[in-house]
Amino acid sequence: MLILRRRAGEAVLIGENVKITVMDTSDGAVRLAIDAPKEISILRSELVQAMHANRDAANEQSRPEELLSLLGGLRGQQPKNKGAD
Amino acid sequence: MSLKINTKYFGEVEYEESELLHFPKGLYSFEDEKDFLLLIFPGNGTLLSLQSVKTPELAFVAIDPFALYEGYAPQLQSAELKDLGVKDSTELFYYALCAVKSPPAYSTVNLRCPIAINNDTRQAMQVILEDENYGMRHLLCDVENQGEVTC
Repeated sequence: MLILRRRAGEAVLIGENVKITVMDTSDGAVRLAIDAPKEISILRSELVQAMHANRDAANEQSRPEELLSLLGGLRGQQPKNKGAD
Repeated sequence: MSLKINTKYFGEVEYEESELLHFPKGLYSFEDEKDFLLLIFPGNGTLLSLQSVKTPELAFVAIDPFALYEGYAPQLQSAELKDLGVKDSTELFYYALCAVKSPPAYSTVNLRCPIAINNDTRQAMQVILEDENYGMRHLLCDVENQGEVTC
């Protein structure tokens, strides 16, 4: 893995067509500007994790009611829609 | 006028159009699913199903994250607040999606990517919180037993 130190306003080039410029940093966050051809997909890595988590959540492996015993001591705190029954 | 859909967990359910939650961007990985209903499992009211209106077999298991973890304090980014038509994150309702595993004790909750709802407009959005202390796969029993997020 290549590790580089860049300051605000400086950039790195990846291949012929991708340029990543550091815009600024504040509160431990770095703002990046990415120039790349349209066909290159750019995703925040946590977005891909969120997609995987949702796909897992859509395929339950036990009956959801089994969770009620885990949630036994809880009470809903927000207004709810009407129930299914 | 009352409408009907087939659901994953409750068979045929009647609902009013005003009960729909509209997700203009869909959910992550399910971008074409724009309309959902929140249905409550019988029990203590903490377990819900986020049911797709378009796809009967698509439903997520959701819980009230504040009931699970009292200190939960989601902070949305300003663009997300604007999309939902509010000024502050506290004006919204939140639900967290669960991955129900076998055995059930291995089930996890996604506190990083809650569903945020403007209850006045019924507009909703799934967000990815900036706060990395909230994980996408917290063991449900850990969060509840210890009263705080530890993993």
